Amino acid sequence: MTEAVRGSALAQRVKTLELQEYALAIVVVLLFVVGAILKPDTFPTIDNVRNMLTQASVVGVLAIGMTFVIATAGIDLSVGSVVAAAGVFGGILVGSDGTSSLLFIAGTIGFALLLGTVNATAIAFGRVVPFIATLAMFSIARGLALLLNDQLPVNLLDLNGGSFGNPRAFSLLWFGNGRIFGIPASVYIFIAIAVAGWIVLNRTRYGRFVVAVGGNREAARIAGVPVRRIIFSVYVLSGLLAGVAAVLLCARLGSASPVSGNLYELDAIGAVVIGGTSLAGGRATIVGTFLGVLTFALIFSLMTQLNLSTEVQQVTKGLIVLGAVLLQRPEARY
Amino acid sequence: MTKVLEVRNVVKEFPGVKALQGVDLDVLEAEVHCLLGPNGAGKSTLIKCVSGALEPTSGEILFMGEPLPAGDPAGSLKRGVATIYQELDLVPELSVAESIFLAHEPRRGPLLNLDRMYRESEALLARLGHDSIPVRAKVGRLRPAAQQIVSIARALSGNVRLLIMDEPSAILDDAEVTTLFEVVRRLTAENVGVVYISHRLDEIRRIGDRVTVLADGRTTATGLPATTPTDQLVELMVGRKVDQLYPERPVGTDRVLLEVRDARRLPAVRGVSLQVHAGEVVGLGGLVGSGRTELLNLIYGLDQPDEGEVVVEGKPLRSHRPRQAIRQGLGLAPEDRKSQALVLDWSQTKNVTIADLSRFSRVLLKIREERERAREQLRALNTVPDDPDRIVRLLSGGNQQKVVLARWLLHECRVLLLDEPTRGVDIATKAEIYRIISDLAQSGLGVLVVSSELEELAHICTRVLVMREGELVAEVAGKDATERELLRHAVAPTDAPVLAEEVV
Repeated sequence: MTEAVRGSALAQRVKTLELQEYALAIVVVLLFVVGAILKPDTFPTIDNVRNMLTQASVVGVLAIGMTFVIATAGIDLSVGSVVAAAGVFGGILVGSDGTSSLLFIAGTIGFALLLGTVNATAIAFGRVVPFIATLAMFSIARGLALLLNDQLPVNLLDLNGGSFGNPRAFSLLWFGNGRIFGIPASVYIFIAIAVAGWIVLNRTRYGRFVVAVGGNREAARIAGVPVRRIIFSVYVLSGLLAGVAAVLLCARLGSASPVSGNLYELDAIGAVVIGGTSLAGGRATIVGTFLGVLTFALIFSLMTQLNLSTEVQQVTKGLIVLGAVLLQRPEARY
Repeated sequence: MTKVLEVRNVVKEFPGVKALQGVDLDVLEAEVHCLLGPNGAGKSTLIKCVSGALEPTSGEILFMGEPLPAGDPAGSLKRGVATIYQELDLVPELSVAESIFLAHEPRRGPLLNLDRMYRESEALLARLGHDSIPVRAKVGRLRPAAQQIVSIARALSGNVRLLIMDEPSAILDDAEVTTLFEVVRRLTAENVGVVYISHRLDEIRRIGDRVTVLADGRTTATGLPATTPTDQLVELMVGRKVDQLYPERPVGTDRVLLEVRDARRLPAVRGVSLQVHAGEVVGLGGLVGSGRTELLNLIYGLDQPDEGEVVVEGKPLRSHRPRQAIRQGLGLAPEDRKSQALVLDWSQTKNVTIADLSRFSRVLLKIREERERAREQLRALNTVPDDPDRIVRLLSGGNQQKVVLARWLLHECRVLLLDEPTRGVDIATKAEIYRIISDLAQSGLGVLVVSSELEELAHICTRVLVMREGELVAEVAGKDATERELLRHAVAPTDAPVLAEEVV
């Protein structure tokens, strides 16, 4: 072996994944600094940071589930609609004068889990392409969200005596508005799910199997990986986390709206992709996804503060996702 | 004679690696110029530079005395440089004629001139001596050998002056190789220059005029006569002598480890029964399409048998799935390592442990232990480098094969099924893999080896079984086996049909 070849081996040891994670961490810091310079009075404030994190936690939870789905070379386009449908379902389950937060939470997560299982069954056993199966669910779930309560939002403030004030710990509104040591409860939940996601993906047999299925499905099968079960499981997981996201969103807004969660799938996919997880499967990073979520949150908070319209933000979001995918193109191989 | 191609001091650098460090090569009209070199020597990179798929970092590539436009595949093709890659790049759903004229279809105004396309396709195939290939049939229905002829016809449909063939014989059996060589001779008779890449040294003497040897991205010898002795070529390739290609033949015991009873999956496998004993290397020979790979897939549970039973150490497989097969002690090193065995962007460790992760899994994976055990197995097989974190994509074919073997050693499997274990592997590594196979058998495993290289089976096996058209037709004791003897059993009594499905 020549010196040159040995040199390249060393270069390859520096894993591209980690590089991207470091780069993204720097981007997050830079964005914060830029925001602090442009809007020194309103951007680097505790209130704004708290606000950004609270909003980011909903998409963040979706993005963790999406990381598992994309790791298998799949996609879940239905999560935004599932968030809306699950929230409305939970809402009508407890009724307008209901008092049980637990019932709402169980109902919401249960319904999302059901919809995720429908996706999973269609893809793993019906052998429908993930893009199409979840696109169908994107439409079905949004339709259900609108149908379930005659297109009206369900007010959930009664779960807290009719107002946002001082929610009891672990009651619904607490998840959206409660704080521990000044940090919103929803942020703890996002971080807990991200940490759990990291452990499962990197330190369990299941996580290894998930990435193997995305990296080379045929090889995984020949090595004895239960490919179909793994594919099934990631869509169920994505549904489950969409239910958790629905709870966090409803908790923050105090209502379950059938038009909520619109385009959340794009936000989640975007965060996953700029984080460095490969859309082709086989390479996944929870740290990257976490940083991707923060990047999006910072960019859009800053744009809002600069009075850029949501339309401009939407165009920007699309461009960032497109740019990230372009950067991910497989490099020339030799 | 006119030089079709002149490559002068070509260097190609990728980030962090010099794939070519000054390569020279001349190809004359009407000659077959063989390109030899171990895996990773830069053969593929070189032909990609010539075909325009890659742009050289420096150096000159002259075609008919004129510089070729760098990194411009369409430009190279237009001037008459055609390349046939190892993996056939045909679209199975297109007809033979459509494939031949893909992207330069004859047209009448805006419409396709189908008549002319069929007529000219027939003429081209006739020129290659293969007018039996139906031009309207879908390419996917052809045997691989016939598909390759279609690829060559496609190259000829332009005005080809230089034809580059990257391991064309890898997917062919011996009879088909002979036909291929006839085609190549027809081309050289028309003054086409041919660059022929192969790992099989015997082929070079059969077809080649001159030989160029690459090693580590440099030309170690160029323009040698094809009559150069094998020893000398091998030495040029690997930089040292290979003492002994084939290890001692394992004897085997009486204990049956694997028994297959009347396995049947039509049309490929038509009722096969066999036994593999502990300590044995059993060869499974036959022509491409004789059902060898299909039989291995049945045994391993990748395909469901219509009928039949697979028994491992006295216990029938409870279900025909790879997971079950692995659990009961089988391991498979499939034909195509890259697409069937490895996750290429993973480290060696992860590729080694994937089939036996529960060994390291309580609730969480014991990452450190996993890495150590993988390293032990890689060391035991003399994998270079034995760095457990190295990404598998960067390894040579031989080392990738060792990673797959390490996987099954870790799992302590009882019977190892090997499908073409030395395909695309250079000769030094081949010797090593033969040694590993022999050692494994002597340690008490049963090994069942499928190979297209009958010579290899004749030398490493305790017994060789020969398949023909889905049935076992002969069993030859290893010490009596010769390539010729095995071939005699393997060849069908009639000429093999062109269409794969006609065998049904």
